[in-house]
Amino acid sequence: MCRLETKMADEEVEKTYRWEGDYEKTWEVLQEDAAGSLQASVDDIIHRAKRRRLQDRQLNVRLGMMRHLFVVVDMSQSMEDQDLKPTRILVTLKLLENFIEEYFDQNPISQLGIITTKNKRAEKLTDLGGNPKRHITQLKTLANTSCVGEPSIMNSLDLAAQTLKHMPTHTSREVLIIMGSLTTCDPGDINITIKMVKDLNIRCSVIGLAAEVQVCKKLCSTTNGTYSIILEDTHFKDLLLEHCTPPPATVNTDSSLIKMGFPQHTVSQDHDSVKPSMCMCHQDTEAQSFTPSGYFCPQCHAKYCELPVECKICGLTLVSAPHLARSYHHFFPLENFREIPLEELDSELSRFCTGCQVQLKGPMVYCCTRCTRPFCIDCDLFIHETLHSCPGCINKRIGPNSS
Amino acid sequence: MSSVLVTWQNNMAEGEENLMVVIVDCNPVWWGRRQQQQAEPSQIVLSHCLDAIQVFVNSYLMLSHRNRVAVIASHTSKTHFLYPKNVPDPRLDQRRGEDGRYEQFATVDDTVVEEIKHLMTSDTTNSELKTDTLLAGSLAVALCYIHRLEKEYQAGQQLNSRVLVIKAAEDSPSQYMNLMNVIFTAQKQNVVIDACILDKESGLLQQASDITGGVYLKIPQMSGLLQYLLWVFLPDLSMREVMALPPKVQVDYRAACFCHRTLIDVGYVCSVCLSIFCSFSPICSTCETAFKLAKPPMFKSKKRKKSIQNGGPSTSLLQ
Repeated sequence: MCRLETKMADEEVEKTYRWEGDYEKTWEVLQEDAAGSLQASVDDIIHRAKRRRLQDRQLNVRLGMMRHLFVVVDMSQSMEDQDLKPTRILVTLKLLENFIEEYFDQNPISQLGIITTKNKRAEKLTDLGGNPKRHITQLKTLANTSCVGEPSIMNSLDLAAQTLKHMPTHTSREVLIIMGSLTTCDPGDINITIKMVKDLNIRCSVIGLAAEVQVCKKLCSTTNGTYSIILEDTHFKDLLLEHCTPPPATVNTDSSLIKMGFPQHTVSQDHDSVKPSMCMCHQDTEAQSFTPSGYFCPQCHAKYCELPVECKICGLTLVSAPHLARSYHHFFPLENFREIPLEELDSELSRFCTGCQVQLKGPMVYCCTRCTRPFCIDCDLFIHETLHSCPGCINKRIGPNSS
Repeated sequence: MSSVLVTWQNNMAEGEENLMVVIVDCNPVWWGRRQQQQAEPSQIVLSHCLDAIQVFVNSYLMLSHRNRVAVIASHTSKTHFLYPKNVPDPRLDQRRGEDGRYEQFATVDDTVVEEIKHLMTSDTTNSELKTDTLLAGSLAVALCYIHRLEKEYQAGQQLNSRVLVIKAAEDSPSQYMNLMNVIFTAQKQNVVIDACILDKESGLLQQASDITGGVYLKIPQMSGLLQYLLWVFLPDLSMREVMALPPKVQVDYRAACFCHRTLIDVGYVCSVCLSIFCSFSPICSTCETAFKLAKPPMFKSKKRKKSIQNGGPSTSLLQ
């Protein structure tokens, strides 16, 4: 009886193992061009994957815009492996620096924290905060520490949950684990931790550097996160940058009005004399100095040098209007452009790319569905990844909401 | 001064090229209205402005043979790339050999003049005539062009790009979203946006130049346009630290509330759609989410029960 039950359980999870299916001729996907270079097919594969991701994105879904994300970096023995050059840990740290900058660029009002796990323990490297420079300097110190022992997913999740459970319910709580090891050494039953994390509404995602691990798969599917395994370093970079876009909000995330302050950069003056003052952000460091200008909190008039920041005295979040504007493009995502061969392009349309004015060579041309103007492949990628607005639609005054 | 020369020589030696994209606001409604309102006909019209821009572009090209330029005209109904053109005009090639002008200048000047004529005389087939300039569209096209040129450079060579916007008409708030997207893209691509304003102050371009690190200048007199262009906008980015440029404008980054459009210091932000309100309301007017109101804390009733049992202060209150 139990044999039948386990067989049915297996069938639910996976239909067959990969070796039981037909073999795929994966070598036929790559094609050499005239000079013998594979670069064009590799670029093509990456480009198609990006377009598919954009296609799969759900529209009209509420997004978790204020995010509290913990990144758990595995610093176990397996990260000294050299399958990513020079070592897995050095590649991870470098890509994490890019990730942190991009994360704060796309989510300026969110916070990030870093946890490391090694020797069956977990340690908090940086606390949740909104200043990217602090995280990056701490991350650089990790390059000199050694990777020993085995990771512990349970300890890392416990540590992350301790902080995340105090966060307000309207924020999106997330954990991103970068796992290079195939094992995890935990002091208790990890299923209890997984249940605890799910009850706290924390979304856990894992990026695996080695192979698929059942525990990680279960963690991600229970908490609605994503589990991906990297193929090589550019794929690793892509997967990391995917986590910069806000995820769909869970059902349990509340929506509330958050009080925020919008300070102006002012010079504090008393008639003609300038009043210098100390700022609250450099309070305990050597960079403390008297300056006349800065951002003054509207509630308690404490001074800060940079925004966004959370006022240490009254707790008010201080931002400026462009910080909120950076996230607006997530609400009006640009649709994928229609891919058509050059020959089928409408004869009335110009044969030059609407963006960069280069002559369209093909084989494929990308047309916006709303304004029907053609674009070359470089402009298509640039518009979808960086610009988030179609120049053709702007010039034809077609708004994002019109069909 | 020697450090300035060293910087300049370093630029020349390392294979850095400079690209400047000039965006000219050719809003026919604004220029036409201005011509009607002027007292004397000798005051500034679009052709004078274009003359000044031509001299400015020629001076820029004269500074170094590594300088490149592109000119875009921003209209109410489209964005037109003036120079360089996609398809070279054979008539221009014939005329070029006849006068004694430096060939590169002749190309740029003649192309710009021809294309402006085409733009202004072409029929607008739209039924409605809009009055605002498509500035965000021109900036987006400029950024795509810069992105394409940057790709053509291999490792070791670098392209420093900047965009100079010569703006005539007023801001149009309907382009806010697109303009902000363009500004953040320019910041990410290290493209500096400078602004030269002819008439009314523009808050959006003030933000653009502040965020990207450019210069914002509102010209006091239109007749001195060429002088201001040559003084302020001609030198390269590396020279700007040693120049005495117009002081930075204090940009007002306060947000405007969505209900009254007034600038506020403290506001309430909806966590779903990020719209800003000046006062608390139970439902967001943009995304229509009902907000969860904070419940009164639970522990107060427990304390009262405990103190009643112990004969504490609350029992004395009841008496």
